[in-house]
Amino acid sequence: MFQFVVDVALRACDLMLIAVGMSAVYSLMKFPNIALAQYAAMGAFLAIVLQRAGLPLVPSSIVAVLIVGVVAVLLNRVLFERMLAIGSSTAMIGSLAVSMVISAIFLVIIGPSPARFNLEITRPLRVLGARITEHQVLSLGITAAAISVFAILLFKTDLGRCMRATATNNLLADATGIDTRKTKTAVVAISACLAALGGIIITMKGEVNIQTGLDLLLPVFSAAILGGLGNPLGAVGGAIVIAMAETLITNVNFGPILGQDLVFLPAAYATAGSFVILVLTLLWRPRGLFISEVKRV
Amino acid sequence: MKRLLTYAILVAGLAGSAHAKDVTIGAIIPLSGASATQGEDQRRGMELALEKINVNGGVLGGKLSIITEDSAGRAPTALDAAKKLVTVDNVPVLIGEFSSGITIPVGEYIAQQKKVHLNVASTSIDVRKIKGDFYSVIGLDDVSGAFSAQDAIDRGAKKVAVIAPNNAYGQGIADAFAKKFKELGGEVAASIMYTEGQTSYRRELQQLEKSAPDMYVYTAYGKESATINREAFELGLTDTPWYAMYITMCTADSDPKYIEGQIGMDLNYVGPSGADYQAAYKKQYNGDFLSTFNGFAYDAVMMAAAAINKAQSDDPAAIAAALAEIGKKYDGVTGEIAFDDEHQRVTQPYLKLKIASGKVASN
Repeated sequence: MFQFVVDVALRACDLMLIAVGMSAVYSLMKFPNIALAQYAAMGAFLAIVLQRAGLPLVPSSIVAVLIVGVVAVLLNRVLFERMLAIGSSTAMIGSLAVSMVISAIFLVIIGPSPARFNLEITRPLRVLGARITEHQVLSLGITAAAISVFAILLFKTDLGRCMRATATNNLLADATGIDTRKTKTAVVAISACLAALGGIIITMKGEVNIQTGLDLLLPVFSAAILGGLGNPLGAVGGAIVIAMAETLITNVNFGPILGQDLVFLPAAYATAGSFVILVLTLLWRPRGLFISEVKRV
Repeated sequence: MKRLLTYAILVAGLAGSAHAKDVTIGAIIPLSGASATQGEDQRRGMELALEKINVNGGVLGGKLSIITEDSAGRAPTALDAAKKLVTVDNVPVLIGEFSSGITIPVGEYIAQQKKVHLNVASTSIDVRKIKGDFYSVIGLDDVSGAFSAQDAIDRGAKKVAVIAPNNAYGQGIADAFAKKFKELGGEVAASIMYTEGQTSYRRELQQLEKSAPDMYVYTAYGKESATINREAFELGLTDTPWYAMYITMCTADSDPKYIEGQIGMDLNYVGPSGADYQAAYKKQYNGDFLSTFNGFAYDAVMMAAAAINKAQSDDPAAIAAALAEIGKKYDGVTGEIAFDDEHQRVTQPYLKLKIASGKVASN
């Protein structure tokens, strides 16, 4: 049973940072930036390349996260701001195109083989009957820390206040003297950094390949929508719900119903689970599970 | 009189040249792409065979040569190459490809064109469906699956969980394994066909774990296998024995730490008569075998040459008839080669192997 909790937590932490980033960008820019899932893979690849070049893991991760932040700001200035001037759906399709281009760049530079960090291999620990590796524990810790820092930033700092003000009413925020363009740039950078960190965490637990970003897209998108797009901390809850659905669907034994010992749904159906949840939510609560309608005035 | 002599010489010369005839056969192998290492190894095997044949008098009094085409590991490229070899180069015999998914369409085309096709690497039982003069020099997975089942039983397994790729190869070998294993009184508690190309197989492994087997049996391609082995280790599943079908393929890309102690089987690529060949290979290429597949390519070329000489013709039908005759019992470097009614190799020797100190060793 505790293994189930561990599995849900690990999967949720795969999705969480990227989903929070996506939601944060949406709250200010008013379009879901699909390229964010690719920023995650980009962060992981950069960190691996830097580690191979001789930097220790922690500095190479930090440098990779910062580089991705800069790339995101540049892309935003050069492409997304202009597309947004046309319309938010144009910007969204544009971000899809950008993520395809990024995929192609990975293929040319890194190749189709999966890449890993050079990490010490340790035997799994046993905690309350569940098995978990040190890297997995570490990844849960980093995720929790990153979310906490982001929450403090959002609710306790001036930048956070500017962000929330701009998100609630752009014009009014402008009128009160907030530099909304600067605020938006900050959010773009922060969300890209979160996504890159998310990608590095996923890779720390396993590996990254050119498909990683696109594979994450659907569950991350579901988590962000479930949490209420534009409500960054709602995405945390969204990620947990999606992770639960995915883990549950492959862990339920249908054997007793069918008169056999063990019958499981193929694991490839897990993403279908997240899609079903997404559709149900959109029907039942179109604005997501964790959004208070008052905020939307 | 003088003129008569000239005619006689001319006729004799013509007859002689008609008799001493160079023969060209074709090969399609993956010289680039995911299986390029194995493809290069196949090329080496064929090159060694060619040298040996031509030193020992060639075929039909002339020389044998091979036109090699790259499949790039893609079926469309391989089919284009097959069309070129058949229509432009007019080869009577074709050798190749590597993966079953490519050998099957190429084989269908070669059968349509009524040429002889020698399969030297593809082990899916679906190749049986190819009609015409299609011969497999390598044992198919009904044989290897049964061998693995017997081996697992011999090593004390009673209840196993099986994981294999969800394709013609994986389904074929998993079915063959399960059939034989149940026959021998064992229980297959869980059997999972995984989707290729995923970044994680954790969920599949956890499903397998629920069946509480006393041995895990698996087969997977290099990179996917690396992920499976790592995640099995992380989930603590490696406390139970792991049995790898085609262990060199399964462990090629895995970190030695994850696979230490694994047991399994693989093709015995050097038969009782293969020692000279192995020595020749080492001398020519300054190193050990690149993969397990060179010997089969070598045997295929040797058998083709023998068949051409026996038939005294480069006509595909005559070669096929001679090949069937030779294939009743042929002593190849990969062991004894004998074909069944469907032209598939009957007995394929296998090795029982294990991973000790990070290396494949005999068990």
